[in-house]
Amino acid sequence: MSNSRDRGRASLLRALDYDLKHTLHANRAVALWRLITGYRLLYGAALVGLALAALARVGSLFALRYFVDAVLLSSSRILTLAPWYALGFVALALVQGSASYMAGKWANQTAEGACCRLRNYLYDHMQRLPFAFHDRNQTGDLLQRVTSDVETVRKLYAVHIAGMGRVSMLLVISVLGMLLLHPRLTGYSLVVLPVVFGLSLFFFPRIEKRYAEAQAQEGRLSARLQENLSGVRVVRAFVRQAFERALTETENAEFLRRNCRVVHLNASFWPLSDLLTSGQLLVSTYLGARMVMAGDLTLGAYLAFIGLLGQLMFPIRTLGRLVTQISMGWISFQRMARIIREEREVLDPADALAPRHLRGEIQFRQVSFAYETVRSVEAGAETPARRAPVVLRDISFHVQPGQVWAVLGPTGSGKSTLVSLLPRFYDYDAGAILLDGVELRRYAKSFVRRCVGIVQQDAFLFSATIRENLLFGVERAIADEALFAAARTAHIHDVIESFPDGYATLVGEKGVTLSGGQKQRLTIARTLLQDPAILIMDDALSAVDAHTEYRIRAALQALMATRTTFIIGHRIQSIRHADQILVLDEGRIAQQGTHAELVACPGLYRDVYRIQARIEEELQEELQGSVAQASAGPPANAARPVATWTDGRTVQPSQT
Amino acid sequence: MTDAYAEEEEFETRFNGRTLRRLLGLNLRHGRLLALFAASVVGIAVVDSYFTFLSKRIVDEAIAAGDMAMLQRLLVHYGITALALSLTIFGFIYGAGTLGERIRYDLCRDLFARLQELSFSYFDRTPVGWLMARLTSDARRVGEMVSWGFLDLIWGAANIVAALVFMTIISWQLALIMLAIIPALLAVAIKFQAGILREYRAVRRTNSRLTGAFNESITGVRVAKALGREQANFARFQELTARMFASSYRAAWLSALFLPAVQLITALAVGGILWFGGWQFQRGDITVGGLQAFVAYITFMLFPIQEMSRVFAEMQQAIAAGERVFSLLDAQPEITDQEGAAHRLHMRGDIEFRGVHFAYADGTPVFTDLNLRVPYGETVALVGPTGAGKTTLVHLLCRFYEPQQGRICIDGQDLQTLTQASIQSRMGMVLQTPHLFAGTIRDNIRYGRLDARDEEVEAAARLAGAHAFIQALPAGYGAQVGEEGLVLSVGQRQLISLARALLAQPDIFIMDEATSSVDTLTESLIQQGMAEIVKNRTSFVIAHRLSTIRQADRILVIRHGGIAEEGSHSQLLQARGYYHDLYARQFREEKTRALDPFHSASPLPAPL
Repeated sequence: MSNSRDRGRASLLRALDYDLKHTLHANRAVALWRLITGYRLLYGAALVGLALAALARVGSLFALRYFVDAVLLSSSRILTLAPWYALGFVALALVQGSASYMAGKWANQTAEGACCRLRNYLYDHMQRLPFAFHDRNQTGDLLQRVTSDVETVRKLYAVHIAGMGRVSMLLVISVLGMLLLHPRLTGYSLVVLPVVFGLSLFFFPRIEKRYAEAQAQEGRLSARLQENLSGVRVVRAFVRQAFERALTETENAEFLRRNCRVVHLNASFWPLSDLLTSGQLLVSTYLGARMVMAGDLTLGAYLAFIGLLGQLMFPIRTLGRLVTQISMGWISFQRMARIIREEREVLDPADALAPRHLRGEIQFRQVSFAYETVRSVEAGAETPARRAPVVLRDISFHVQPGQVWAVLGPTGSGKSTLVSLLPRFYDYDAGAILLDGVELRRYAKSFVRRCVGIVQQDAFLFSATIRENLLFGVERAIADEALFAAARTAHIHDVIESFPDGYATLVGEKGVTLSGGQKQRLTIARTLLQDPAILIMDDALSAVDAHTEYRIRAALQALMATRTTFIIGHRIQSIRHADQILVLDEGRIAQQGTHAELVACPGLYRDVYRIQARIEEELQEELQGSVAQASAGPPANAARPVATWTDGRTVQPSQT
Repeated sequence: MTDAYAEEEEFETRFNGRTLRRLLGLNLRHGRLLALFAASVVGIAVVDSYFTFLSKRIVDEAIAAGDMAMLQRLLVHYGITALALSLTIFGFIYGAGTLGERIRYDLCRDLFARLQELSFSYFDRTPVGWLMARLTSDARRVGEMVSWGFLDLIWGAANIVAALVFMTIISWQLALIMLAIIPALLAVAIKFQAGILREYRAVRRTNSRLTGAFNESITGVRVAKALGREQANFARFQELTARMFASSYRAAWLSALFLPAVQLITALAVGGILWFGGWQFQRGDITVGGLQAFVAYITFMLFPIQEMSRVFAEMQQAIAAGERVFSLLDAQPEITDQEGAAHRLHMRGDIEFRGVHFAYADGTPVFTDLNLRVPYGETVALVGPTGAGKTTLVHLLCRFYEPQQGRICIDGQDLQTLTQASIQSRMGMVLQTPHLFAGTIRDNIRYGRLDARDEEVEAAARLAGAHAFIQALPAGYGAQVGEEGLVLSVGQRQLISLARALLAQPDIFIMDEATSSVDTLTESLIQQGMAEIVKNRTSFVIAHRLSTIRQADRILVIRHGGIAEEGSHSQLLQARGYYHDLYARQFREEKTRALDPFHSASPLPAPL
C-alpha cells in the first residue's frame, strides 16, 4: 500500500515538473519560452530541422541547375553523370523528408508536453485554490479556459510558431539562393513580395473576425435548436410549428450569411494574391529569359531561380494567417494565466501542528466573518456574488466533546457559513475558534478537513463506482464488512445490492441515475466511512422521506455518541433531542438552549414549535370533519374504490 | 455544458452507393452554383498544368532558341493564363464555399421542419443531444463533404489526368513510368490517411474524457476539498493526461510522417526521370524544358494525392453522417391526419374515454380498459404516484399519442376523425416544468396567440395573476427570460405559462402542476389564475397541491393501469384509501412549509 503510494507521489512529482507561476511574464516571448522549459532543446532542434529541410529543398534546385548546365548542356558524359545526379537528388529528398519529419515530430512532442504540463498544473491548481475563487467563477468559463484555450496553445507550438519558423527559414534560404544565382534579378523579383505579405496581413485578421462572428452565430443557432427540442411539448401544445420554423429560419439564414461572408473574403484574397504572384513570375521570367539570351545567366541557373521564386511565393501568402493565429494563441495563454496567477490555499504549512487525536471540543469566541468582495478571473470584471453575502457577527459558544448541537434559522441566517468555518473552508476575520483548546488556524487545513465530516444538502458524487465513491474520504484500507455496515447505517445497502453490478455500479454521468434521496444516503455513508471526530449534517436529510429519515436518525444515534455533531435543520422533530440548540438570525445567535428551555420562553424557537404542533391538530380536525361531513352529505357509495388491475382483480386500495 | 463535451458517436458504415448518390443529389438543388463550381474545378486543373507546359515552351522555344519574338508571344499567353487561373480560383472557392454552406443550411432547415412534424413517441426514444448532433455537426460535415470533399476529388483527378496528358505530349515513355507509380502512391496515401484519422479519433475520445474530468473537478471541488481528495484526484487525472499525451503524440508523428513519406516516393520518381531523361536527352527525345516540366509535374502531384487520400479517408465518416441525416429526414410521423379529417374551430368539451388500452412503444403498459366521462365544464383533478399515467392520460386527450384499443371522443366525435392541429389548438396546456423561450416575457405570453395585442397580453397576465410580479421587474414585460435572461422561480414560470394558456382562449384546459415548492403568495396567485381559467371550460389538472385538489369537481386517483379511486374530496377521505393517506402526508408537508418561518426552499420531498 505504502509502496504504491510512494510510486504515486513520484509520478506526481514528474507530472508537476515546472511551476507555471514562472511563466507569468508580460513579455510574450519570455512567457512562451518558459512554458516549454525542459523541451527547449527539442523545440530548438525542431526549428533546426525545419532549416535543414528548407536548405535541402533549395539544394535540390541547385542540383537541377548543375544537372542542366554542367551535364545536359556541356558534357559528353551525360550517361555516366546522370545516375549520380539522380542519386544526389534522391539523397537530398531523403534529407529534406527526414528533417521535416523530425521537425514535425519534435514540435508536436514539445506542444503535447507543454499541454500535458498545463493540464496537470491547472487541474491541480484549481483544486487548491480557495473556496472563494470557486464561489466567484462560473464552471463554464473555467472549463473553456482549461480545454479550448489549452488546445489553442498546443496549436501555437505545434503549428503556428513552427509554421512561422518554416516560412521564414524558407524565405531567408531561398532569397540567399537567389542572390547567389543573380543578385540583380533577385532585386527585381522581390518587388511584389511585401505587397503580397501586406495583402495577407490585411485579409487574415478580417477573415478571423468574420469567422468568429460566424461561430458566435452558430452558437445562437444551436441554442435556438436546443430550445425548440427541449420545449417540443409547448410547441405542440400551442401548435406553433410554423412559428418555430420561421424563428429558426432567421438564425439559420443569418448563419448562412455570415459563413458566406467568410467564403467571400477567401474568394477575394486567394485569386488576388495569386494574380500578384503570377505577375511577379511573369516579370521575372521575362527578365531572366533576356539575361539567358544575353549570356548573363545560364539556363540551369534560370530554371533554379524561377523554381526558388515559385516556392517562395506560396508560403508568403499564409504569413498573415500565421501572424493572426499566433496572436490568438497568446490571448488564450493569457486567459489561462489569469487562473495560474491566483494564490492557492496552503493545505500543509510547515509550522502547522502535527496531526493528533481530537476529542472534539469546540469553542467559538466572538467570531465574525464576511465573504470577501467577489471578483472573477476576468480581471476587473465584478460579478454578482453567487452566495448571499452572509455576515456572522460576534458568535460565541462552547461545545463539549461528544455533544450534539443543532443549528436552526431562516434561509440566509448564516447556518451553513457557521459550520463551514470549522473545516477551514473560509478563515474567520475576527475572534477565535478553539479546537481542543488550540487555535484552529494552527492546524493544517488538510488535517482539519480529514477530522470534520460534512454531509451537505446537495449531494455530489463523482463519476466512479459506488465503492470508490464511498471510499473517497478514506485513507486507510477498509474491509468489505465495514463498507457494508456504513451503507446499511445510511439505508442504502439494499439499494446498492439491487443494482446488477452492486458496489461496482458506476454513478454519475455515464452510470446509473440515482434519486436525490439515494445520493444523499450515499454521501452519509461516505462521511461515516471517513470516521471524522466532528460530524456536520447540513440539512442532510432534506431529500429523504420522513420514514427513512427516522430510521437513519436512529442508526446515527450510536455514531453521534462518540463524536461531536452539528445538525442543521428546520424541522423541530429533527433537532429536539440535541444537547444544545442554537437559533441563528441574521448572522447572530438569537437563542441558545435545550429544547425544553427554548420551548419555555418566548422567541423564534417557540413560534416554530407551536406552528408545527398546530399543524398536526388541524389535520386531525380536518380528517374528522370531512368524514363527518361526508356521512351527512351525499350517499357514501358515490366514493367507489375502482381499481382495475391488469390481471382483473379488484382490491381495496386501503390494503395496499 | 454537458452537451459541449458529450462524446461524439463515431460509427462507420460500409461504402454505400445509394447514400453517396443521394449525397451528390443534394448539389442538384443549386444548379447554377454547381455549374460554376464544376467548371472552375476542371478549369483550374487544366490551367494549372498548362502553366507548367508553358514554362517548358518558354525554355525550349524562346530561351534555348534565342527567339525574342517567341518569348514575348509566350509571355502574353502566360499573362492570359494567369488571369484565367485567378478567375478559376475565385470560381472554385466561391462555388464550393457557397455550395457547402447552402447545403448545410438546406439540411438544417429540412431536418428542423421534419422534427416539427414527428410525433411525441419519436422524442421519447430519441435524446435531444442526438438530434442536435444531426442538425449541427452532421449537417456541416455533409455540407463540407459534398462541396469541398468532392471538389478535392475532382480537382485531384483532373489535375493528375491533365498533368499526364501534358507529360505524354512531352515524352510518352516517361509518362508511362508515372502512370505506373500513381495508383501505388494513391493506395499508400489512402491507407496512411485512414490510419491518421483513426488515431485522431482516439485522441478526440480521450479529450472528451479529459473535459469530463475537468468539469467534474470544478463542479465537485468543494466536496473534493472537504474530503481532502486533492492528491488522489490529481493522480487519477494524471493518468488521463498521460494517456492523452501518448495518443495525441502518436497521431501527431504519424501525420508528420505522411508528407515526407509521400514526398520521398515522388523524389524517387524524379530521380528515375533524371536518370532515364538524361539518356533520352542525349538521343534528342526530350528537351531541357521538357525535363524541367517533368520534375515540376511530379513534384506538384504531391498535393492532389494528399488531398484525394484525405478525402477518401474521411469519406466513410461523411457517409455515416449522411445516413444519420437521411434517417431523420425519412422518419415518418406515427400519428397522421386521416384523409378528410375534420378541422373544428370550436369545441364544447364533453369528453369520453371508452375502453382505452395504451402502452408505450417500449412495451410499458399504462392503461388497460380505461373508461371515463367528463361532461362540459367539469374540473377533474388527477392524483396518484409518479409514473401511474396521469400525464399520459392528458397526452392521449391531446392526441400526442394514440391508444392501441378503444376510443377517445370529444363532443361525441372520435379524435381520429379530427385534424391534430384542430385538437391541439383548442387545448390550453400548462406544463409541469414550464418551458419559457428565450425572449421577453411579453413574447412568451404571446406565444399563446401570436396576433394578440400588447393590451391583450397584459389582460391575460392580469387574469392569471402574473401582472403584479411582471410589473415589479425593472424591464417589466420587456424583461428577457430563458437561458441567458432573468432567473425566474418555478412559480413565476407557471404564472407566465398560465397567462400564455389564458391568452390562447382554449376550449379545454390542462394543467400539470409543478411538484417543487412555490412560495405562499405565488401559490395563491396561481390558484386565482386557475380559478379564472377553469371557469366555463372542461379542465384536467394533474394536482400536487391540496388547494388545487380541493377546487376540483371530481378527483381521480390514477394507479395500477386505471382509475383506482374516484369521487369528491370528502367522499374519498371517507373511503380511507390511497387518497386518505396521501392527503394526510401532503397536509403535513404543506403546512410545515407554509407556517415554518425557517422554511428553506428545498424541493418537496414527497410529491403526490
